[in-house]
Amino acid sequence: VPTLLAGVDRAAFVAALVHRLRTRGVDVGMTSAAAFTEALEVVPPVRVGDLYWSARITLVSRQEDLASFDRVFDAAFADAVLTVDPHARRTGTAELPERPSDGLAPVPGDRDEEGTGSTLPWHTLPRHEDGIEDDDNPVVLPELLPSAVARIADTPLDELDGRELAVLGRWLERSAHEWPTRRSRRLGVGATGSRIALRATMAASRRTGGEAFALRRLEAVRRPLPVTLLCDVSQSMQSHSTAYLHLMRAFARSRQAETFAFSTSLTRLTPALRQASPTAAIALASAQVVDRYGGTHLAGCLKELLASRHAHGIRGGVLVIASDGWDSDPPGLLTATMARASRRARRVVWLNPRAAVPGFQPLVGSMAAALPYCDAFLPAHTLRGLDDVLAAISGGLSSRA
Amino acid sequence: VSVDLASPADVRRRFDEHDYLADDGISAAVFLSLRLGLPLLLEGEPGVGKTAAARVLAEVLGAPLVRLQCYEGLTAGEALYDWNYQRQLLAIRIAESQHQPLREADLFSEEYLVERPILRCVRYDGPTPPVLLIDEVDRADDEFEALLLESLGEGSVTVPELGTFTAKQRPIVVLTSNRSRELHDALRRRCLYHWLEYPEPKRVVAILRRTAPEASVPLVESVSRFVGHVRALDVDKPPGVAEAINWVAALGALGVTELVREVVVPTLGAVAKTPDDRDLVVASLHDYAFG
Repeated sequence: VPTLLAGVDRAAFVAALVHRLRTRGVDVGMTSAAAFTEALEVVPPVRVGDLYWSARITLVSRQEDLASFDRVFDAAFADAVLTVDPHARRTGTAELPERPSDGLAPVPGDRDEEGTGSTLPWHTLPRHEDGIEDDDNPVVLPELLPSAVARIADTPLDELDGRELAVLGRWLERSAHEWPTRRSRRLGVGATGSRIALRATMAASRRTGGEAFALRRLEAVRRPLPVTLLCDVSQSMQSHSTAYLHLMRAFARSRQAETFAFSTSLTRLTPALRQASPTAAIALASAQVVDRYGGTHLAGCLKELLASRHAHGIRGGVLVIASDGWDSDPPGLLTATMARASRRARRVVWLNPRAAVPGFQPLVGSMAAALPYCDAFLPAHTLRGLDDVLAAISGGLSSRA
Repeated sequence: VSVDLASPADVRRRFDEHDYLADDGISAAVFLSLRLGLPLLLEGEPGVGKTAAARVLAEVLGAPLVRLQCYEGLTAGEALYDWNYQRQLLAIRIAESQHQPLREADLFSEEYLVERPILRCVRYDGPTPPVLLIDEVDRADDEFEALLLESLGEGSVTVPELGTFTAKQRPIVVLTSNRSRELHDALRRRCLYHWLEYPEPKRVVAILRRTAPEASVPLVESVSRFVGHVRALDVDKPPGVAEAINWVAALGALGVTELVREVVVPTLGAVAKTPDDRDLVVASLHDYAFG
């Protein structure tokens, strides 16, 4: 049977394909490349389909990379693939659109809302925007003194200017270190606990001449809980969204949290918010939200999140929703979705800046529908309020303001 | 590894004999895993035949299947080996009562070693290497993944008191994951990887007919079509092939020969696994064209 690649230098061929994959972001290691080379030997490809499967099984090691791999492979073997390989026939060889890795494709919303004529990446208060400057500059941003924080502690978040927001962002980044944890089933050596850690006790006894004076014990290891934060960026939340974006960034930087923005559709912001520079992170996150200040599909977006693969982070974790509760979806849908979310999450925290207004009553249909499923309902309209939020997320009762 | 599977097509044929309809992808993955001696990591949503693939592989090779179900907090004591402390204590007491000298090495001998699945596979002494199924590895924690690295990479297990056991024949390792958590790169790097998709409707029909030969062809086809319909709905937990197989079995047990609304509703528990999903499917029945 005539095989493909007869007389081809296999090592060179593999190296070239691996190089192409790596430049397209598929992380292929040497072990995988060696395995592919060997696979070409043990399964001499007769059809392009054989080659496809050998390459895919040996070189790709995660599902997110499959789309990139298919594109590279099709680009290299396009004509032949289409005729013989059923998989390629199904997916097509045309250049596929860039799929977001998490499957949450943002839907372009209506950008012609009035009042968004500004060209700023994120719609804060434009008159103060010149206050945001290079945050490495010590003259512009002096060392974060308690007084700088104290001065803005009780200022409503929607009245902060760019410089004050930067102070807020830095403070949040420092303060969000207390992470919620749970008891895991794994045991580690510690001071308390009912079981004796034999190995550690014996090791310690060497210091006392082989006599075990101090007993070491096994106690349950505590594990960090996953935290998922959702921020409403619709018209009605416009003035608070930058401050909340700073809050989400403080969590996203820790690599344990997932962050999303929503108005008419859901956008995952975690990779954008992990940027080192706060200014760059907020700008990038803003650029990714295509439908900000549109209407709100709170229930629909939450449902979409629960159906996505990031829903695993909600299971047994902390879910934080920042929204004023204005929703164009029917309240019944929100009730059902919140019920599901609260069954899945360990703790649901709702932030509503409108709740700070004296005499606030959750009369909006959706807010009233969601409230029974929230473990904490906080105003979060000032820095002091955000401190309560951090405490609520980490499960601590005392406020650290 | 001495196996008589000559090519991916051969894998496919032999799997077919054991009632597992393998597609090009899974047969190539199994063949390469056997031939290159690398563990195979199968990922995919629940109910697409990951665990079944490992089971059938063991049947095809005539090898024992050793299964390790993963859970959080799984330690070396449950996965690799443990010492039989009770027997050791007993041995000390007996030696004391009979005034016999007892050396420490006597207590840490193979006699007192309790084999757990991975060590059992490494020490297995049979004509064909065993198939080690490490099921739902995403349910275990990072520490357990690290524990696996030596046994997967080197095919060996180290017991400090006794030394390193190395497998004469590398066990055939299949890991499955539902992707509820990202596995560590170090683990992925040591494995061949295959992502299992939910099969096309035609293949679902073929699989159902194979697992329930007594069911009528129209029933199997309409079940396959209906499960496809449910998957297209916005359900919380989309039904997999396993759910479809169970449903055909349930309908068969009730003596149903034709899928109509009156039999769908009472048997829906086989397909819809949450109250919300159930309501959604029932509501969709109104517009669904049976037959």
